[in-house]
Amino acid sequence: MLVRCRSGRCRAGWTLTLAIGAALCAGCGVGQDPHILTFAGSAVGAEGQVIRRQLDRFQAMYPSIKVEVRITPDAADQRHQLYVQWLNAHAPDPDVLQLDVVWTPEFAAAGWIVDLDQFHASTSDFFPAAVAANRWKGAVYALPWFIDVGMLYWRSDLVARPPVDIDDLERLASAATAQHGVPFGLVWQGARYEGLVTVFLEYLGAFGGRILDDAGRVALDADAAVAALTTMRDEIVVDRIVPAAALTWQEEQVRFAFQNGQAVFMRNWPYAVGLLQDGAQSRVAGRFRVASMPAGPGGAPTSALGGSVLAINAHSGDRDLSYRLIDFLLQPEQLLERARVVGQYPPRPALYDTPALADALQIAPHEARGIIERAVARPATPVYTELSEILQIALHRALTDQQAPRAALAGAAAEIQALLDKAGLGAGR
Amino acid sequence: MTVRRLLPVLGIAVMLAGLWFPLYWMVISSFTPEARLFAPTLVPREVVLDHYRALFGGRDFWTPIRNSLIVAGATTALSVGLGALCAYALARLQFRGKPLMLAFVLAISMFPQISIVSPLYLLLREVRLINTYPGLVLPYLTFAMPLTIWLLVGFFRQLPAELEEAAMMDGASRLRTLREIILPLAWPGLATTAILTFLYCWNEFLFALSFTLGPERHTVPVAIALFRGQYQVPWGEILAGAVVATVPVAVIVLAAQRRIVAGLTAGAVKG
Amino acid sequence: MSREASLGWALTLPALAAIAVVAVFPIGWTTWESLHAHDLRMPWLGRPFVGLANYAEALSSTRFWSALAHTAVFAALTVTLELTAGFVLALVVDRIARGRDLVRTAVLLPWAIPTVVVALVWRFLFETPSGLVNDLLRRLAISSPTWFADPFAAWVPVMLADAWKMTPFVAVLLLAGLQTIDRSLYEAARMDGAGWRRQFTDITLPLLRPALLVAFIFRTLDALRVFDVIYVMTAGGPGTATEPIALLTFSTLLQNLRFGFGAALSMIVFAFSFVLAVVCIRLLGRQALLERVR
Repeated sequence: MLVRCRSGRCRAGWTLTLAIGAALCAGCGVGQDPHILTFAGSAVGAEGQVIRRQLDRFQAMYPSIKVEVRITPDAADQRHQLYVQWLNAHAPDPDVLQLDVVWTPEFAAAGWIVDLDQFHASTSDFFPAAVAANRWKGAVYALPWFIDVGMLYWRSDLVARPPVDIDDLERLASAATAQHGVPFGLVWQGARYEGLVTVFLEYLGAFGGRILDDAGRVALDADAAVAALTTMRDEIVVDRIVPAAALTWQEEQVRFAFQNGQAVFMRNWPYAVGLLQDGAQSRVAGRFRVASMPAGPGGAPTSALGGSVLAINAHSGDRDLSYRLIDFLLQPEQLLERARVVGQYPPRPALYDTPALADALQIAPHEARGIIERAVARPATPVYTELSEILQIALHRALTDQQAPRAALAGAAAEIQALLDKAGLGAGR
Repeated sequence: MTVRRLLPVLGIAVMLAGLWFPLYWMVISSFTPEARLFAPTLVPREVVLDHYRALFGGRDFWTPIRNSLIVAGATTALSVGLGALCAYALARLQFRGKPLMLAFVLAISMFPQISIVSPLYLLLREVRLINTYPGLVLPYLTFAMPLTIWLLVGFFRQLPAELEEAAMMDGASRLRTLREIILPLAWPGLATTAILTFLYCWNEFLFALSFTLGPERHTVPVAIALFRGQYQVPWGEILAGAVVATVPVAVIVLAAQRRIVAGLTAGAVKG
Repeated sequence: MSREASLGWALTLPALAAIAVVAVFPIGWTTWESLHAHDLRMPWLGRPFVGLANYAEALSSTRFWSALAHTAVFAALTVTLELTAGFVLALVVDRIARGRDLVRTAVLLPWAIPTVVVALVWRFLFETPSGLVNDLLRRLAISSPTWFADPFAAWVPVMLADAWKMTPFVAVLLLAGLQTIDRSLYEAARMDGAGWRRQFTDITLPLLRPALLVAFIFRTLDALRVFDVIYVMTAGGPGTATEPIALLTFSTLLQNLRFGFGAALSMIVFAFSFVLAVVCIRLLGRQALLERVR
């Protein structure tokens, strides 16, 4: 007993010594060689609180690593310009970057971000379309962090059911505006910016059209595209269910209009759900529901696939640690926390079967999953931003009645084709 | 007689009211609660400081103010310093090539900023000065230097030559004359030039937008213009920021309007 | 004499060198860039020499020509507006016997406010659907356009904002010109029985010609550079209906990062302004220039 006890004490003593030694060593390690990772992304408001909490947990798991947050501009254009500046200068930090999904091919082609296949990421755990958008020349360069899809918000106190298709939506909207004195039938983001492209993509899909066909050729001058854009324009100019002011609106103005009870239907991203349910600000709390976007003739209900992805700077000092951070942020626990706090849809389909997500989202998870699985990505090309600008201008010209939809789209198609050819990325890439 | 006298006064009153109305509207709106921003009343029914609190609490508007002060201050000091020497030589010394130099300075002040944005961007990027204070001060010299030289040449020429000649008779060198006689006499001109240069720098937008990247280096105009972020149009905060950006220039105009007018007219009317 | 000349060069050189580094050298660089295809987004393409291809692309682009047209129309209309309003304002202020300084300060203030602020305030006034202007029009039972979604109506707030900011500048210049006119001329004219109309056309207008010319030149050069007010109010929209050449160049450079093509646009802008500046210096007269250096 005594011996054992002594030896036990002895062992305890050794363990203690070892532990102190290890702690000291770890301490030295931190003092001399602190692995500092920098993370660049959205870090304001509720999103900022979540990311800081998660980074604290990561640092608790790996005490020798310190993660610094680099705050970047909110506006997508500004953030993009900042990233281009950093990466083009081969700066070693930030190590981990939050990208908009449409930037991945551009940064990958320029050699600014790391091919993630070397880490054997289990890409099959994510929605295939969300991963595909991050592929460049076969390799995966970024992993999806959260997913944005376009959804149709409808006022359950004004209409009895969600519309079955676009015609039905227009009928319901007209009837409800006349009957209830609500000023707008439908609101969507129509300002000349990236958001307009996502709305158009949804109408395009609803009519069975696409931006690029299977051969990589621009298909914007097809009849389906013309029909889609004509419908959008007529909703403003002819049927007057969409206010002309929407042509100057981005997501938040759209949300304010719906939140103040001024619209029967709204197209928006998932983030609006939580804000609209907040009775302190919202006049429609408890009086709206969410459905998938309606289809038109010749197409299917379509949501634009958006969202953020995580990538590693090609000149990062420590790629392995950077990947470890990405891997941590993409664990179910972290993704569910984001879903709960900021309403962002996780990129892992498996999570849509868990009860935790059902609590976090204000829409049935299987419905959300269905919408995501049908969602359509924007073209994955390094010249996407320029392609998008050409398209935005053409769309806005047609919607403000400066040009007929067919002429506007034909012009845009020719310009985009020339752009792809010039970059050496034309058909048959 | 009274009618003839009253009429212009009335006309002025109406004109000034019209001219000042947008400013008035900006100020009262910046104190109006968000919910009532678009339900206007001529006299505010309720005054709140919410937007200002959000501006300095939530957004840290001190940073752009500090950036603007540093950049405008440094540019003003540098260009008035270098410009005074150059202008003195052009105004007072006899040597060939002066008209050409002056024409050159004037031509530079007339060319559009946008035409040198691309090389300046590449240049600043090459020497790692994008998003730094020197990276703004250097581009600002393109408009500040010609402005100061042009204005100061005019002011130096107005100074009586006799004093200078007397000093030189006494054996003082040109440089000493400049330092001890001319500069003390010319300070009103220097002050005017400095005020105008500062105003131009404070208001500059294109270079500041092109050569700064993050909120930590944005100047006041860029910061306000980019309030329209990806999602929101926070009109209350935008207007509060607009008021804050206007206060310094309003103070300067009130305190130094005579000088500013003298500077503007010297810079322009006399050629 | 030669000592004086060398001192002259020593004093002017630092300032001129600074201008050369930050202004002249970049112009040379822009010229060189404009002959190359240089796209920061596509580093794999390198920076090949392409001759005048960038210029050809600009000249064959409808967006470029409409940007030029927008700039010209904007300049023509705003300068007319500002000169007219500024003239009236100056004439009125000139008649004030007491407190003229105070009024002049009041008039000057809008000029000193940052253009970005001016643009935002006017955008706020014209905001759709419930800005102040729309509200007033509604009370008058006039239906208002959706200002910023209408290719023509969008120009109204833009030009009003610019005119509001720059009219004071014109007024102050003209006021200074008016005050140099010898009052006894008017006395004499009145003695001769000339009415105010005759006095205006025979005395005020001719004697104010130099000041008007200067105001015209400065405003025109400035209006052709227009950027801030449009960037903030419309960002060139709807479509590209209000896009001036400076904004097109800016977005080519810093949004699309096409530096070669952007440099070609810059050079075209520069060439235009250079010719204009030379013409203006001629108009101002060598005399004014020489007066300053003699």
